[in-house]
Amino acid sequence: MDDMKLLRDFGAALEHEPPASLARQRNRLTGARPRRRRVGLLVTGLAAVATAAAVAVPTLVLRGHQTVAPPAGARPAKVTTGALNVLLVGTDSRAGSERFRNGARTDTILLVHLPADRKEITAVSIPRDSIVQIPRCGALPPRKDMINSAFNQGGLTCTVKTIETLTDVRIDHMVEVDFLAFKEVVNALGGVQVTMKQPVNDPKSKLRLPAGTSILNGEQALGYMRLRNYGDGSDMQRIKRQQVLLRAMMAKAKKTLTDPGKVSAFLGVAGKSIKADKDFDMETMVDLATSLSDSRPRFLTVPWVPSPDDPNRIVWKQPAADRLFARLR
Amino acid sequence: MITQPATRGADADLVSASWTQPEAFAELFDRYSAMLYRYVSKRLGPEPAEDLVGETFLVAFARRRSYDLAYADARPWLFGILTKLISRHRRTEAARYRALLRAPVEDRVDSPADRVAAGVSAQAARPELAGALAALPTKDRDVLLLIAWGDLTYEETAQALGIPVGTVRSRLNRGRRKVRAALGETNPLLDEEA
Repeated sequence: MDDMKLLRDFGAALEHEPPASLARQRNRLTGARPRRRRVGLLVTGLAAVATAAAVAVPTLVLRGHQTVAPPAGARPAKVTTGALNVLLVGTDSRAGSERFRNGARTDTILLVHLPADRKEITAVSIPRDSIVQIPRCGALPPRKDMINSAFNQGGLTCTVKTIETLTDVRIDHMVEVDFLAFKEVVNALGGVQVTMKQPVNDPKSKLRLPAGTSILNGEQALGYMRLRNYGDGSDMQRIKRQQVLLRAMMAKAKKTLTDPGKVSAFLGVAGKSIKADKDFDMETMVDLATSLSDSRPRFLTVPWVPSPDDPNRIVWKQPAADRLFARLR
Repeated sequence: MITQPATRGADADLVSASWTQPEAFAELFDRYSAMLYRYVSKRLGPEPAEDLVGETFLVAFARRRSYDLAYADARPWLFGILTKLISRHRRTEAARYRALLRAPVEDRVDSPADRVAAGVSAQAARPELAGALAALPTKDRDVLLLIAWGDLTYEETAQALGIPVGTVRSRLNRGRRKVRAALGETNPLLDEEA
C-alpha cells in the first residue's frame, strides 16, 4: 500500500481544471501596473483584438466581401509610421433580411490600434451609450446623440466619420461583423467557454445558462454578447463580458486552429457577412494576421462619466479620453 | 501564429526582465497559473482558487525585485507565496476535508488501473485520507501536499517554505505516518473480506 500514490489519486479526484475566467486574474496583474493606474484607464482585458484580427478579420478576404466607402471630406492625417487603426463594429443587422436593412445598430464598437512593431496592440471599447457630437454625414445634419445612432442612420461610413471627428484618430480600415457572421465564427471554433456567477434566463437575448462554466454555441454566444439584463444591467458590465468572451474565443482559436489546413477550413465557413473597406484586401489581411502572432493585445474602455442630463447615458471623461486617443494617433 | 515557441527562457530571465519591463511578468502567469489553479482546487475547491491564483501573482509581482535569480525555476517561489495565502483559509480547508469524510467525491479518476497494488483503491480510502489531512497540523500538511499534489521535490519544497531540507523530510515522514495510520486503522480491504 503506497500512501503517496493514494494521496495523489485522491488529489486527482479533487482537482478542477482552470476555467476560462482565470484569464481575468492576468488582467489584475497587468492592470495593477502603476503606469496604467496613473493614466486612470479601465484596463479590462487582454487578448481580444487578436480574435478580432486573427479570427474575424481574415475571414472577409476569402469571400468576395461587401465593401464600405470611406467617409468624404477632410479626415485626420494618415500616419505613415506603419501603425494601423482598425474600427471593428458588431451590428445587429441580419444579412439578407430587408427588415433590418436600415434599422441596424452598432452593439459593439472597438477601435483597434496596431503599432508599427505590432507588439502592444490596444483595443479601445467605445460604449454605445456614449452621448457625442455626431458630425454632418451625407444628408444628415450634425447633432448630439448616442454614438450608435451614427450607424443606424448613416452606416459604417458615418460611424467612421463620427469617430474620426471625435478622436482625431485616422481610421485606416473598417470592419463590420453582423450577428450571422459572429455566430458562424463561434460555431466554426466549436463553441466557446464562459463562466457565469449567476444563472441567466433572459428572454430578450434568448439566453438561458446555469451558474458555472458552460460551452456556448454560436446562438448562445450571440445572446451572451447582447445580454444586458444581468448583473447591474449596465453597458459597462456588458462591455466587460464581451471582452471576456472575445478573449475566450481567442484562447479557443489558439487551441483549435493549430495548422494552416484547419485555419483555412475555419475561414471557409466563418466569413459570410462581414463588410470592410476595399483596401483591406487579402494580402493586407494575411500580413496583418501573421504579424500579430506574438503580440500582446490589451483592452481599454474610453474613460467616461455618467451623463449630466441622463444617468443612463454616459459622456467621455476629459481630458483622459483625449489623452488616450492621442496615444493612438 | 498559433504554436508555442520551441524554446523558452528560464523563469529567472522573465523575472529579471520584468524589473524593467513589467509586461514580461505576464508570461509567468501564462506558464503557471493553470498549474497553481489545479493545486488550489485540490486543497480548497474551485471557488476560492481563481482569486488565490490572482493574488499569488500580484504578491509575486510586487516582490519580483527580491527574487533570487540563482533559481532558474520560479515554481517553488510561486508555491511558497500560494502556501502562505492558503494558510489564511486553514479553516475552509479542514472543513472541506471533513465534508469529504461524509460526502462521496465526484469521480474523475476511478478506473481499475488506478487501483494500487495492495488492492485498496484511492476511492475506497478517501474518507480515511480526508480525515487524516483534516487532522494534520498545517505545517506538515503543507509539506505533504506540496510534494504529493504540487509535484515539488524535497529541495523545491524546502525552497518554497524557506526551511531546511532536513525539516522537509521530518515533516513529510510525520505526515505520511499519520496518513498510513489512518489507512491502517480502517482498511477497506479487510472490511471487504470480513
